[in-house]
Amino acid sequence: MSALLELRGVSLSFGGLQVLDSLDLHVDEGEIVSVIGPNGAGKTTLFNVVTGLYRPDRGEILLDGESIVGLATNAIATRGVARTFQTIRLFLNMTVKENVMAATYGKTRAGPLRSILRTPGVRREEREVAALAEEKLGFFGQRLMGYRWDQPAYSLSYANRRRLEIARATAVNPRILLLDEPAAGMNPVETHEITELIGTLRTDGGYTILVIEHDMHVVEGISDRVVALDHGVKIAEGTFDAVATDPRVIEAYLGTKAAVST
Amino acid sequence: MPQLPIEEQGTGGQPRIGTDEWVASVEERRQRRGGLVGSLLEQWQRLPLWAPLLAVAAFGLLFPFLTESDYVVRVGFNALVFALLALGLNIVVGYAGLLDLGYIAFFGFGAYAYALLSSNKFDVHLPTIPSVLIVVVASALLGLLLGLPSGRVTGDYLAIVTLFFAQIFVTFTTNANRIIPPWRDTPIDLTGGPNGIGGVDPFSVFGVEAIAVSSYFYIALVLVVLGMLGLHILSESRTGRAWKAVREDPLAAEAMTIPVFKLKLLAFAFGAATAGLTGSLFAAQQIGVFPQNFELPLLITIYAMVILGGAGSIPGVVLGAITITVALEVLRGPDDARLLFYGAILLGLAIAIRPWQRLVAVLTGTAVFGFLVHLIVGSLWPRGTARVAAEGEGLVGTLVEAWVLLPTQPGTIGNVAFVMLVASVLVMTLLRPVWRPVALVPSLYLAAFVWENRLIFQPSVTRLLILGALLVVLMNARPQGLFGTARVEIV
Amino acid sequence: MDGTFLLQQFVNGLTLGSVYALIALGYSLVYGILKLLNFAHGEVYMIGAFIGYFVLIGLGGPGDLAVPVVVALTLMFLAAMLGSGILGVLIERFAYRRLRNAPRIAPLITALGVSFFLQSTALLLFGAKFRSYSTFQFLSGGIEVAGVRISTTRILVVVAAFSLMVALTLLVGRTRLGKAMRATAFDREAAAMMGIDVDRVIVATFLIGSILAGAAGVMFGLVFFSVYHLMGFTAGLKGFTAAVVGGIGHIPGAMLGGLLIGLAEAFSAGYISSTFQDLIVFSILIAVMLFRPTGLLGKADIRKV
Repeated sequence: MSALLELRGVSLSFGGLQVLDSLDLHVDEGEIVSVIGPNGAGKTTLFNVVTGLYRPDRGEILLDGESIVGLATNAIATRGVARTFQTIRLFLNMTVKENVMAATYGKTRAGPLRSILRTPGVRREEREVAALAEEKLGFFGQRLMGYRWDQPAYSLSYANRRRLEIARATAVNPRILLLDEPAAGMNPVETHEITELIGTLRTDGGYTILVIEHDMHVVEGISDRVVALDHGVKIAEGTFDAVATDPRVIEAYLGTKAAVST
Repeated sequence: MPQLPIEEQGTGGQPRIGTDEWVASVEERRQRRGGLVGSLLEQWQRLPLWAPLLAVAAFGLLFPFLTESDYVVRVGFNALVFALLALGLNIVVGYAGLLDLGYIAFFGFGAYAYALLSSNKFDVHLPTIPSVLIVVVASALLGLLLGLPSGRVTGDYLAIVTLFFAQIFVTFTTNANRIIPPWRDTPIDLTGGPNGIGGVDPFSVFGVEAIAVSSYFYIALVLVVLGMLGLHILSESRTGRAWKAVREDPLAAEAMTIPVFKLKLLAFAFGAATAGLTGSLFAAQQIGVFPQNFELPLLITIYAMVILGGAGSIPGVVLGAITITVALEVLRGPDDARLLFYGAILLGLAIAIRPWQRLVAVLTGTAVFGFLVHLIVGSLWPRGTARVAAEGEGLVGTLVEAWVLLPTQPGTIGNVAFVMLVASVLVMTLLRPVWRPVALVPSLYLAAFVWENRLIFQPSVTRLLILGALLVVLMNARPQGLFGTARVEIV
Repeated sequence: MDGTFLLQQFVNGLTLGSVYALIALGYSLVYGILKLLNFAHGEVYMIGAFIGYFVLIGLGGPGDLAVPVVVALTLMFLAAMLGSGILGVLIERFAYRRLRNAPRIAPLITALGVSFFLQSTALLLFGAKFRSYSTFQFLSGGIEVAGVRISTTRILVVVAAFSLMVALTLLVGRTRLGKAMRATAFDREAAAMMGIDVDRVIVATFLIGSILAGAAGVMFGLVFFSVYHLMGFTAGLKGFTAAVVGGIGHIPGAMLGGLLIGLAEAFSAGYISSTFQDLIVFSILIAVMLFRPTGLLGKADIRKV
């Protein structure tokens, strides 16, 4: 069985700095895989390479067995790779609902000229898109529902912005969801909610998820598998318990003394 | 009807302090201005599109009957032409957020293309509809072409490239009457050079020719109404959402399946097509096209209209276009110009200074200050200040002569006063708000002085000054213009 | 058309290029620090040219100087540089400062407005008439090299421009202010956190750039005589092109770009047609932007996502 997303020997360097080094990674369908590692390990770069923002110097990236290296970012997204950003990048001056509706662009077809003429096909598509947005927003309970649909995104609280960003990503109807530090900046209650949410995304939504996280409670709570990176190299892979106690991982986070004393 | 959260269903829809909805609308409350102006603006923003649309259509239909002067109808036509151009620019700047400074080149291109296809120039007289269609398509293609750099370069560079392009367009049309291609000996005349192309065919549809200004007025009116409608539908559509997303955050948009580059090209193409269409209309009405029609001041004028009206707001830019066109026309004749000048200042003061007691104080202070200065200086140099106000009739003239200093040789001192005025305005922005009304008094008098002694004599330069200053002031003080909504940006 | 003609165009190009290089430096410096294209820069140059002209007139005019030529030239340059410098600082303070963190469209449109306002002010105050430096009336002579006549004026201009560029390079490379400028250009927030007064650095940058533009204005007037309110617009466009061609934000690049654009213009005017020289410069701009957007000497800008 081939993996949904597969990276083989992916390497990338910026000038003299090797950011990713012969990275092998795979995510199977229905899995939740977490990527951990100290800052600067290359985790977000990994996301950027998969989504086509950077082109790897070497290596292969396969989605459903097909190579996506060199494709434009929006093409990769349309093929089913959706992501959120470490520093929440919403369309702030658009409403909540519009944010989510905007992400359906790749899967819809109404061109500008037909839209002006408001053909029945266009109107039907608009209704479907609106319904899809409402459904995706409904995933988060009542928080992004009702009057919130028409509120500008900048009026949302931090936690709600994160949720909206995730909702927007799901509107792409992705094969795989890339979440970049979804629990960043959240208090314990919100963190717990996010943990549950990610689980629900898999069970109810059926999404395959690749998560970058620093909060080990979250990682422990959601992951089928954990991959640890350091300086662009994979240093450990396995269950949470296996990786968390791996001496190389401890060394990367806390230094050699800590690793030795384990 | 969206489902309200349970705890709010009992309040009858009105948000209570502390509940989610009240907190969520904090930005809206912040942007509200108090007083009459505030509530007016609020009412305006609540209107669905069809209200201003209907108003424009209704007023437009009646307009040519309200006046007997062809000149006035012509001004109306100009206003509608500008409104069309503003609508087109609104797509590029207001929706997609691209700074296209070459926009008027498309206007010019449309005009020249129509002139080449339907005029005496090469004796090609394509009928109106195919001619205009070709112009629109060609303009769209040109827009695509000019938009190509937007894929590789950032906004600032794009601005310069497009500006340069506009410059090239003018240079080309001014000089393309003497091109000597390598395979010929004698020059070919493509664009008529500085004299442009004359003898352009008027619009003619189904055998009916449009000659009178009012015919063109109606054609323009129809186009404006259709344009407003079309753009509104477009902005709520898939493409409109994608444009707005591109404006907000191109990177995130790209990651959400939106082909950013393609949409930028689309915006350019739509804007160019609109401008080209308007150009053909303009050429047909004027029965000629000249390179001087399409120079930098026109660009600034359109930008001022779009920014003043509010980039991104359809009724806003139309209103901005109409307001500025009318204002510029009024500026032409000294009497009306004077009224406009003082009127605009009074209006501005009324909006900016609250409460009304302070306003009255400033106005009285200025009046008194003026009379005093006039008295003192007048008695010291009686002959040097005895000039008659420029073309003032009756009461207005007498008032002006009594209040404003009118030196017999206004030239140099007018210049100096102008520089002083600019300086004083700048200084006032540095003062603490407490002192501003005090500084306002001599500044207002200085402004009147500069106006009466310098600006009123040169309306063409005055309008340029006002447009330039308008852009600077708007972007610093109220970038969303009159009718746009203030945007929140994270940098 | 032979070697002499070629050389003549080369000299023209070099002179023109020096002027463009100075303007391009102003653009580059400001862009490096604020990532802002200061449209109004061309107008600062124009005002400098006018100031020089009026000083010349004030000293008796080109045909009747009351002071020795050297003194006159020095005064013209100093006055223009000072005046332009102050103007540049004022523009930054009142038009751009508030918009430092606004989305990029805002300062660009403001710059457009400032540019237009200054153009119109010049038109109001000075009228539309072309003013002429008539340099030949007080500065004449020249040398002959390989059959080509190079006037004193041109030598003066090239030498002066070169000296200014050297001075600038030393300033940016060797002084504390220069170090602060480079730091601020690299990362404004970090520079502020390191104790650099970012406002002062920005003001200094505008001041220096505008001083150079003012000098360029006088130089243009001396070599090409005519001064009018629209001269800043085209010169600004070409100066910007030069900055981009060389690599914007990059000082040696601006100098190189200026020279290249000046040479390109001179050669196209000489060999093809003066009416299409603008078009050629424009084509160079497009070509560079499409194929090498960071310019000939520029470095790629790496941003973190």
